[in-house]
Amino acid sequence: METYTYVNIFETKGLEYLLLISFLILFVILVRYLSTPPSGR
Amino acid sequence: MTPSQAQSTSEVRRVIRFVLAELWPKGPLLTPFNLISIPVILLGAGILAVRFVYGLGSVTNLSQSFPWGIWIGFDVVTGVAFAGGAYVITFVVYVMGLEKYHPIVRATVLNGLLAYVFYAGALVLDLGRPWNVINPIIGNSFGYNSVLFLVSWHFMLYMLTELLEFSPVIAEWLDLKRLRRILNALTLGAVIFGVTLSTLHQAGLGALFLMAKPKIHPLWYTEFIPILFLVSSVYSGLSMIIVEGTISHRVFSNQLDAAKHHRFDEMLLGLGKGAAITMFVYYFFKALVFLHDRQFDLLASRWGAWYLFEVLGCVLVPCVMFIYAVRTRSTGLLRVAAIWSLFGILLNRLNISVIAFNWQAAVHYYPSWQEIVVTLTVIFTEIWVFRWIVVRMPVLREAHELPRAASPAVRPSV
Repeated sequence: METYTYVNIFETKGLEYLLLISFLILFVILVRYLSTPPSGR
Repeated sequence: MTPSQAQSTSEVRRVIRFVLAELWPKGPLLTPFNLISIPVILLGAGILAVRFVYGLGSVTNLSQSFPWGIWIGFDVVTGVAFAGGAYVITFVVYVMGLEKYHPIVRATVLNGLLAYVFYAGALVLDLGRPWNVINPIIGNSFGYNSVLFLVSWHFMLYMLTELLEFSPVIAEWLDLKRLRRILNALTLGAVIFGVTLSTLHQAGLGALFLMAKPKIHPLWYTEFIPILFLVSSVYSGLSMIIVEGTISHRVFSNQLDAAKHHRFDEMLLGLGKGAAITMFVYYFFKALVFLHDRQFDLLASRWGAWYLFEVLGCVLVPCVMFIYAVRTRSTGLLRVAAIWSLFGILLNRLNISVIAFNWQAAVHYYPSWQEIVVTLTVIFTEIWVFRWIVVRMPVLREAHELPRAASPAVRPSV
């Protein structure tokens, strides 16, 4: 019985998914950052 | 002759007299720009005469291996990306209803119209048989399967659409009130049609390179070129508006009052915000394509260093500059970021169409001095026409306003 399965992050396109998820998070942060005026103004 | 016919005839005579009077030069002729541009335009006209009499080979370094040079790579492919501001700003104002940007619509549409007329028109210069340019339109060998079929139709239709979008300004200039009302009513339809055309042919220009897979360096070739061209045309257009608007506001400052100058700075910050967000999206698209194609090995070469310079140096860096400029409300930094991002667009388009094209060839293409002079001729002629129109027509000022500090002799009579 096989107890361990090696998951290749390149073969599964894992890197692409990670990049896409980080993009979505960073995109929201960027839009909010640009939309709110800096403190002290 | 009935009274209405007599009125129409006198109106036509008035318009003709007015246009003829407007043809006379206004302002000083001996300016630094004129002194530089006139000799270049005259030399360029001579080179073009030689090109059309003796063929492309007489003035260009183009060959069977390199059929596309800077007349396509810069004038057409880059020029159309630079003209992307027109479809972006008309969409923002007329469809999204952001009236804040309305004051720059006319200048941007004029810039887009002239860019298409001159840069897309430069396509004719590069055709070995220029008279065949009409074939996709008149039905002689339509070529439905060709991307060029789509691009040529779109260029023609978009030029007409932009002319329609700009036509109320011409009607105001000629003081044709009824015609202006009719043309104004057509604007929204023209804008929607124009935006649709633009998104398709900006991507279509990228699709032209899909068939050149074996010739383009793998770091630049991807099946997603059309999407990358479309997304980059948005921030390219916004950057061009920032640069062109800044120059226009300085050169034609007598057409604007202090309140307009202040509003313009506010608009610049809004445009910079749009450019920053679009560049961020574009940068991630590039990263995603890079990962998808698994091109890590290719980075360890001179081409890899050149690619990193384009993506990190000319996309990521100006993107960060835009973000910082918007947050600190620094319009100076915003302008630098806009120029830098335009340089990045130029580099990207030239990399795909010229520099990394046939990258394995033993003898590489470089433009002849005649090609460079003709490119400068196209740019200078466009600036001349832009200036001629802005000085006379209500592009930056309102129709009823007259330029400040101008003598009655040079005031437009509209």
